[in-house]
Amino acid sequence: MAEPELEPVEEPPSPPPSDYYSSPEFDKDRHVTFLQMMYQLLPWQYQNQEINRLTLAYFVISGLDLLSSIDRVDKDAVASWVLSFQAHPKSEDEPNDGQFYGFHGSRTSQFPGECRGVMSHNGSHLASTYCALSILKIVGYNVSSIDSEMMLTSMRNLQQPDGSILSLLQNHLFAIVLLISRDGLFLMIFTNSVHFSTTGGATYCAVASLRLMGFIGDDLLSNSATSSIVNVPLLLNWILQRQAMNGGFQGRPNKDSDTCYAFWVGATLRILGGLKFIDEKELHGFLLTCQSEVMMPLLLP
Amino acid sequence: MESDEDEVMQRVPLSERPEWSDVTPVPQDDGPNPVVPIDYKPDFVETMDYFRAIYVADERSSRALNLTAEAISFNPGNYTVWHFRRLVLEALDIDLQVELDFIDNIAKNNSKNYQIWHHRRWVAEKLGTDAADKELEFTKKILSADAKHYHAWSHRQWVLLALGGWEDELDYCRELLEEDIFNNSAWNQRYFVITRSPLLGGLEAMRESEVSYTVEAILAHPENESPWRYLRGLYKGDTQSWVNDHQVSLLCLRVLNTKSNFVFALSTLLDLLCHGLQPSQEAKDVVAALEMSGTDEPDSDLAKSVCFILEHVDPIRANYWRWRKSKLPNAT
Repeated sequence: MAEPELEPVEEPPSPPPSDYYSSPEFDKDRHVTFLQMMYQLLPWQYQNQEINRLTLAYFVISGLDLLSSIDRVDKDAVASWVLSFQAHPKSEDEPNDGQFYGFHGSRTSQFPGECRGVMSHNGSHLASTYCALSILKIVGYNVSSIDSEMMLTSMRNLQQPDGSILSLLQNHLFAIVLLISRDGLFLMIFTNSVHFSTTGGATYCAVASLRLMGFIGDDLLSNSATSSIVNVPLLLNWILQRQAMNGGFQGRPNKDSDTCYAFWVGATLRILGGLKFIDEKELHGFLLTCQSEVMMPLLLP
Repeated sequence: MESDEDEVMQRVPLSERPEWSDVTPVPQDDGPNPVVPIDYKPDFVETMDYFRAIYVADERSSRALNLTAEAISFNPGNYTVWHFRRLVLEALDIDLQVELDFIDNIAKNNSKNYQIWHHRRWVAEKLGTDAADKELEFTKKILSADAKHYHAWSHRQWVLLALGGWEDELDYCRELLEEDIFNNSAWNQRYFVITRSPLLGGLEAMRESEVSYTVEAILAHPENESPWRYLRGLYKGDTQSWVNDHQVSLLCLRVLNTKSNFVFALSTLLDLLCHGLQPSQEAKDVVAALEMSGTDEPDSDLAKSVCFILEHVDPIRANYWRWRKSKLPNAT
């Protein structure tokens, strides 16, 4: 299957003037220092996030990258560490054994090959695979040296008869169900698991997936473009309504704004070509109110 | 660990417990240059080291079951531990009603954790339709503390679909909406019930009574987004009925006449016009009365006027309303 051409759906906004972020408000250096500290050591309170280790690494590394500070990390060390999470089949036959061969999210789901007897499947996980590949790209690792053929082939094992996709073969919890209706759906039934309720996060996952699969294209907002899959005007209206009076984005109607929705909602709008409709200044203002005043105490000697 | 304040006794390290003396803990191999290493506390490390040992040995015993509980208390998100616990529960043929109590306990401090809800669902599924009442009670309890709890709603919907118990659900929605008419989750659940309940007649059969209910809710608080979305949803798959139903356009006019909290009424009117609604003279008059004085000549195109007003009364979306205006057909 030919890879779909991915054109940017709209021109990115021109960058703000160089002094925009060096105003007293956005303290870039403090954010970089914070991320560097996390890169070196996470406080014990993160113990219960151990299972998401790779995701935490992704946040730190992509954060540093966004702040043009990726040189603060040892890129080779990062690449080696990430590659150590890759699940490998033991033999030539195994890619066809019904398992998914991606990346583990942490050492706590990763056991030496011989000991895997308990589980019929290795514990590699779709979400951590995404994080792993993203990290590798960011640090400049040559991802073409990864056996993507095996990973993609085995990824098919995650798809269920109803079309949904498991992220982990051990359980059905993370199934992201894309319910696609010919007449478009009221409330945009983009859900996690069985729950029918719209949220910003699930909406992003669905819209991004549809875009990647080529079900929705560029230029969605022009008069002539219609989608048989998604009711774009309704979706656009709903998602834009997520910008609250305080400038931030909420995940659902009548709920509080949260910084994370700046990504989920913002990214959805970017894909749809509707980012130009938000009030950028108000959003910026809101995000800065979420900037912590307190610097974490240094944990390092 | 965070639940320390609940512990009456000091935890005895596993290495000092005689019943574990035969087990050699298996340490975590973090590799030479770990990224984002975590500053684990010793009791966390020890518990996970012993868990690794029983996991690798595939020991499905009572002590293994207890150890998974300890590991879960440190790390309720660890799906490997939960998965192994399920294997042990099956192997030991444990009474799953008791397991529900275990989950109740963990959920007190960790209710926003996917693993717990997944485990609960696994147990409930095994118990079958007898579990329906208990599950509805359990989710109701959580919702009484947090009426928009995403996982609780998700589980509740799964219970209804898989195990039944629809009889009182519409009533429950009504109760929640009486407590808080702005509760989007309750509106969402209401939609779920009227469209999915095997005891009701389906969306079209329910439409008339639901429209009345929703109109009342909107008139009480026209600034409430949820019932406006709900109203649109009542006509899902049948936009023409939505456009043609006088109740919808009349509702918009009623709200516009109050001259307050009319943003959603205006945007709904705009959508109706875009879908072919032929506006009445009353509609034109009401909108004209809202337009700012001293600004541009009122547009003879009602939809353009509506967009213009929206740009001013909903300024955070001004760019969007301007774009909507630009996309209107030129002819009136």
